[in-house]
This record gives sequence, structure tokens and C-alpha cells, in this order.
Amino acid sequence: MGPLENLTIVEMCGPLGEYAAKLLGDMGANVIKVELPTGSPSRKIGPFVDDIPGPNRSLNFFYHNTNKRSVVLDYRNSEEDRNLLLDLIHEADLVIEDHVPDDLPSLGIRYEEIAKRNTGLLWCSITPYGLDGPWSQYGASDMTALAAGGPMSMNGYSPEDVPDAPPIHGKGDLAYKTASHYAVIGTLVALRHRLKSGEGQLIDCSMHEALSSTTEVGLPYWLYTGKNILRQTSRHASVQRTDPWQFPTADEKYILVFGTGRSAESWLDFKKWLQNDGFGLQLDDARFDDPLARQGGRGTTESKEINSELAKFIASKSAEEIYRGAQHRRLPWGTVREPHEILEDNHFRSRGHIVSVSISDANKEHEMPGAPYHLSSTPWELRLPAPELGEHTDDVLGDLQDHSLRDR
Amino acid sequence: MLTLLLRAKVPNDRYNRLMLAPLPLDGIRILDLTWIIAGPVCTRILGDFGADVIKIEHEQAVDPIRMGRPIIGDGPTLNNSGFFNYINRNKRSILLNIRHPEGSEVFSQLVTESDVIIENFSSGVLESWGFGYDHLKELRKDIIYCSVSGFGHSGPDNHYTTWGPTAQALSGQTIMSGLPDAPPAGWGFSFMDHTAGYSAAIAILMALYHRDIAGDGQYIDLSQVEAGSVLTGSAVLDYTVNNRAWKRVGFPPGNHAWEPQVAPHNTYRTLERNGDDDQWIAIACLSDAEWESFVRVLKLSDDLSNEWINDSAFSTNESRLRHQESLDRNIEKWTRARDGYELMALLQSAGIKAAVCQKPGDRVETDPQLDFREWWQTVYHPELGQSTYDGVAPLLQLTPGSVRKASPMFGEHTDEVMQEVLGLSSHQIADLRAKGVFM
Repeated sequence: MGPLENLTIVEMCGPLGEYAAKLLGDMGANVIKVELPTGSPSRKIGPFVDDIPGPNRSLNFFYHNTNKRSVVLDYRNSEEDRNLLLDLIHEADLVIEDHVPDDLPSLGIRYEEIAKRNTGLLWCSITPYGLDGPWSQYGASDMTALAAGGPMSMNGYSPEDVPDAPPIHGKGDLAYKTASHYAVIGTLVALRHRLKSGEGQLIDCSMHEALSSTTEVGLPYWLYTGKNILRQTSRHASVQRTDPWQFPTADEKYILVFGTGRSAESWLDFKKWLQNDGFGLQLDDARFDDPLARQGGRGTTESKEINSELAKFIASKSAEEIYRGAQHRRLPWGTVREPHEILEDNHFRSRGHIVSVSISDANKEHEMPGAPYHLSSTPWELRLPAPELGEHTDDVLGDLQDHSLRDR
Repeated sequence: MLTLLLRAKVPNDRYNRLMLAPLPLDGIRILDLTWIIAGPVCTRILGDFGADVIKIEHEQAVDPIRMGRPIIGDGPTLNNSGFFNYINRNKRSILLNIRHPEGSEVFSQLVTESDVIIENFSSGVLESWGFGYDHLKELRKDIIYCSVSGFGHSGPDNHYTTWGPTAQALSGQTIMSGLPDAPPAGWGFSFMDHTAGYSAAIAILMALYHRDIAGDGQYIDLSQVEAGSVLTGSAVLDYTVNNRAWKRVGFPPGNHAWEPQVAPHNTYRTLERNGDDDQWIAIACLSDAEWESFVRVLKLSDDLSNEWINDSAFSTNESRLRHQESLDRNIEKWTRARDGYELMALLQSAGIKAAVCQKPGDRVETDPQLDFREWWQTVYHPELGQSTYDGVAPLLQLTPGSVRKASPMFGEHTDEVMQEVLGLSSHQIADLRAKGVFM
């Protein structure tokens, strides 16, 4: 059982915040997902099983809602359901919600009032821009959040690869997931304070601030030199243009190259690897012995020559051969893989990273990624597949009536 | 330097509140053997919320980020990297040679006084120094040991290594970013160093919670590639359930939407700002209602070039998806002559999701939201002067995190930690130093 097994959570989230509740549920928390009769907005987001939309057919919903139970309450229109929601929250340790800032208060669902009865309650609001401020009423999609928060300005193409290319939105809802990571961190920190003091509190999680904290050297460059870094193809944005890192292979994939040997020993090893195949014979020249001359990003003729030989070498081989060959020489290179290729890699399978789940309407076990971390005595665990809409309404409301919501 | 000094703000209300609030991780001590980015991002978060993070350093293996650009001054001094300062605030630094017999003894004593040990060496390194998890547990029964590595500590490839970009490549993030007929665009920074750090912080906080309730510590094995793979679950299920691989005609879809399939959903050029013509706004209409608002905004904007909006080709989402190229061209004609921030305000006031593609400088100098939230905090650093940092997310109303100290000088706190944590006398410290333990 996970470390959070004694926690009861009421979640009212769509795509922005539901990953946070999954992270907690996957580690043992009792997550009750409260949905309107129309269902969470993420049930309408594909891909769908067999490409047929339906509230219980979204693979997007399915992945982000494991280890939760679904309760339908029409808290927008029904006073009775609103009261049931308030009763549920009264029994809970934590509420996670991603409504726009004034929405729930306008329905009479206010943290400040509920906390008078349940003083230990933690309430995590995940919003695009935070609970106050001039942009607090602004909406966001995953793309617009990555735009405002800064990561997107660093992703894209060098002008020689794609002229006039815009900043690029990497797919996978990583803005929502970054906000969710910060929400979970804040929640766990607040939980520790509650353990010591008994006090609950409001956690104001702004996706904008989470993303603005996720831009690596972007801020230091501005803060210390007043320069914005420039986008380049599949490598770090930088003040000066640097050499390419990404090379096509013989089997129409790409290899991401990270360093060609910093120490003398690893340089020799690298050189021998290419030369065994007849590439890079000129790399024996003494002018390549200086590690600074070899370093990409300094614009030396040496680093350009190394890259040109490397490109030919990589183009002659399969991605797998280059990847394994590099790693066996302690070079941290990787194949640019498609998401599903993790399933075909025995390393991750042998670590138990791949899990099988049954999917409603698909009647079959399917594989997907499982644990992001392995905790030795309280491991990640798939106890429940994502719920059908309202699947647990009767169970949960029955338990609420019997005051046994927390017994599982 | 003058402009940097001018940016330093007088402490404001929120800053004062932050300084007075109790720190929620007060009393937690972290022995931090990590370097580069992923591990330090994790311990930055724990330090921000009040944990005592002791960064253990060694002269023969200096954290390369201490020499990471931007360097302020003529050359690296180990204490003048703006990047190092940015990710190592709120920490203490000690020099310790763990492989020296007496250094090993000092390290053992530090373990007994700590709650968490975190490292991001390759698999097996700490064990080879005699500090595998089993031994750490003997030193402190409830220790939480977190290893952050590329491939984890088990499995046939556990000796393989990653940097952020390779973890992004292997886990699927790189290929999910790009234009359809171009090479992958990937991510222009080590997104997975941040995210592995976030995942490690989450795992450690969960293990601490379990320890506080049940009494026992544990061993956390975190693989950076796995921490990335879990972010791609929908795409993996599309493969295992629908047999559809990511790579197909039209993929990756650039800034067009993947799911939900809606249009318009793209970035559009806006008016030049401050002599920089690389200006873009991201606009997403996620529903018909949002599209209808967009139409109203365009009709009101009194621009003859907007007559295309009446074309029936754009009346339904399905049709807009089919005519995305011309839809985008038309929208860009409208945005190109306008300021991004003005467009953002105009569109947002009509309920349309839109945002300027902000560069780092825009966030620091222009962003009114971060300014209102008093996001930027300034602390003095001996070599870098008044240094500005981002704040601490998320905002905990009662026990917020805070920026209290700049990054430590190399080995700055060796004596302080030896005295305060281990109770060593100045005589004992001098003796150990003479033997080469603190180097």
C-alpha cells in the first residue's frame, strides 16, 4: 500500500488538475472525483477507444484518472447535491480543484467557510494564473500556458533548418502536468505542517508560476546579462548559436548526441568507434587534442568537422546500434523515440515500469507506463482503473451516510 | 551592473509576510550529494520550504554548474555562475572528502543527523564508497535514501547515463514537439531535469509523510527516463488500444491541436516590440462558443481584412480543421499589425484563451501578473551582488516557501555545519582540515 493510504481526497478537476490527484491516488490516497452529470471535461478529450467519443471511452481520461472513484453530483443546479458535496468535503483531508477563481465561491462552496468546521482541511486550487492579480480571470490552454510561462519561447528551430518558425508547443499537456507536480509538492508540504500543528490551509497553485519556474538557464541569462536566449533545433536555446545535437540514422530515426568525449580517454574511445568504420580518419590530427576546440558551441572548425564526420557515421547505422554503442562507451546519447517504444525496451519492462490495465469498453488488457518512482516499502500501485462516469456514486454516498467514507 | 542594482526592489508586503511565516519543512535535514540540475532542482524545492539542505562538495569533483554560463566576470571563480546561483539558493555547502577514512567517519555522523540523503551518481557509485542503502540504514534506521539516475538502479541498462535532453529523447517528449515535415524540435532546455527534480521532491515528501506516521524510512529509486515516460500515457494508450503510433502523416502537428482536435489553435506573429520582431501570440479556441466570441472580436475590430470571417469554410470546427492553413493565414494578417499584450487583453476579455509567447525578459520586465504576485525576490550574493530569483510555487497561504539565502560559496558552511550539526570543536575541525578531510 502506498504512503498516503490514510488520506481522503475530494477532487473536482478537468485536464489542468486531474494529474495531481492521480499522483496522490497512485500512491494510496482515497480519491473521490466529483463530476457534474455532464462528466469531467477531460472525458471529451481524445484519443478515444476505436476513435468513437463517449464519456467512458477517452484514453486521455483513462490515463489521468487511475485510482479514483467517480461520484456524480450536480453541484451547479441542485441544492441537495451541493449539500452532499459539502458533507463529502467535511469528511475529507484535502480538496483539489481547478475551477476558475470565483466559480466555486459563487456557488457557496468556499474554503474559508468550510474550514471553520474542518480546521485541518487542505484546499489546493490549481488555476491558470493564481487566485489574485490582473490575469487571474484569464483562461488558459496547455499551449497558451506554455507561451505565457516561458518554456515555449525556448522551443523551436534554428533559422537554417526552418526559416521564420514560431516557438513550438510540445504536445503531451506538459503545462498541466507541471502545474500538477507543483500542486502535489505544495500539498505534501502543507500536509507535513498539518501533521505538526493540526492546521489546514489554502494552497494557491498558479500554473503560470509553476511554468515560470521551469525554464532552466532562460532566467539567469536575462537576470545577469540582459539577454534573451534564442531557439535552436532540438537543443538548448542559447545566446550564441551552437552546433547541432540531433542526427538522422539509416533507419529514419534520430539520435540525440550529448557530448563527444570530454576527457582524453573518452575522446579516444569515441574516435576509435568512428574510425573502425572508416569515418573521422582526420580526427587524429593534433589540433583535435584540445578539448576546448572540440566543444560544440564555440564555433571552432574542429567541432564542425567532428560533427560532419559524426553525421555521416550515424547516417550509416541504425538508431539502436548508435544508441547502444554510445552508451557502452559511457556517452549519454539517446534515440529520439516515440512514446510507445518504452514498451519494447526490456530494461524498463524488467523494472516493472510497464503495467497492464483493463479498459472499459475495450474488454482487454492494455499496457501503459506505471510508476514514476519506486518507493521500496510503500510502492506505486494500480488498484483501480479510471472510473466510469458516476460508477461509485451509490457506494460513496452510502459510505457518507454510514460515516464510513474513510474505511476502505 | 547598474541596471541589475536598480532592479533590486525594496522588500514588499508579501516578502515581509514570507519572512515571518513558519517554514513547513523546518527541522528536516537533507544531505545533498547531487550535482548538475535534476538533483539540485529537487533540493532547491525542499530548501525553499525550509529544509536544511547541506550540499556536500569536493575539490576534485566540482559541480560543473559552478562553472555554468552565464558567468559574471572574466572567468569562473566557482562562485560567480548566475545559473548555479539560480538553482542552489537556500542551501549550505560543505567540502568533504568521503573517500578519506576520517571523511568517511564525518559523513557517517552526518547521516545519523539527517532525515534524507539524495544523490544522482551513476548506479553503484555510492555503494562502492561503502554507503549503500543497507549501510546507511545501519547508521540511521529511518533514513530516506533517494537516488536520481537516468535508468534507475536495477535492470540490464542501469549503467547507462542521461542528461536532460537524452531523457527527453528516450521518453518521447522530443518527438512530440515539432512541425510535421521537419526534424523534431524537441525542448530548448532540460525539461526533464526540472521534471525529474519535481518527481524526486514528490517521492521524498511522500516517504517523509510515511515515516512520520509509520516510523520507517525507505529507498527511492528514480529513473529520469521513467519520470518522462509517465507524461506520455495518452499517446502510449493510443498505441496499445488503437494501434496508432505517434509518427504518422501530419505529426507532430506543430502548434495545431493534437487532442482535443480544435481550430484555430496556433501561434501568430504580432507587432515588433523594442526592436525585436520575433513576437508571437498563442491563440486557442477550444469550443464553438469560444470561436463565436473570436468572430465577434474580429468583427468589432473594424478591419477590412477581416471579411474572410464570413466565409462558410470557417463556420464549423470540422470545416475549420480542414481549412486550417488559410484560417491561420487570415488570423495572422490581423495579429501582425497589433501588439501582443494588447491582443491578449482584448481576446481574454472576450473569454478566448490567448497568451503572448513571453521570453524570459518579458516575464521579468513586463508581465503584470508576476509583478502583482510579487514573484521576483532579491537577495544579496557576495560575488554577484543583489540577485533576483523567481519566487516559490505554489503559494501556501499559511506556511509559504521563501528565498532566504543566495547560493552558498564553495565550501562556505564547512565549519558552521561541523560545529552546529556534529558539535566539533574548532580544534577538531582544524585537525581534520590539516589531514585533508575538508577538500
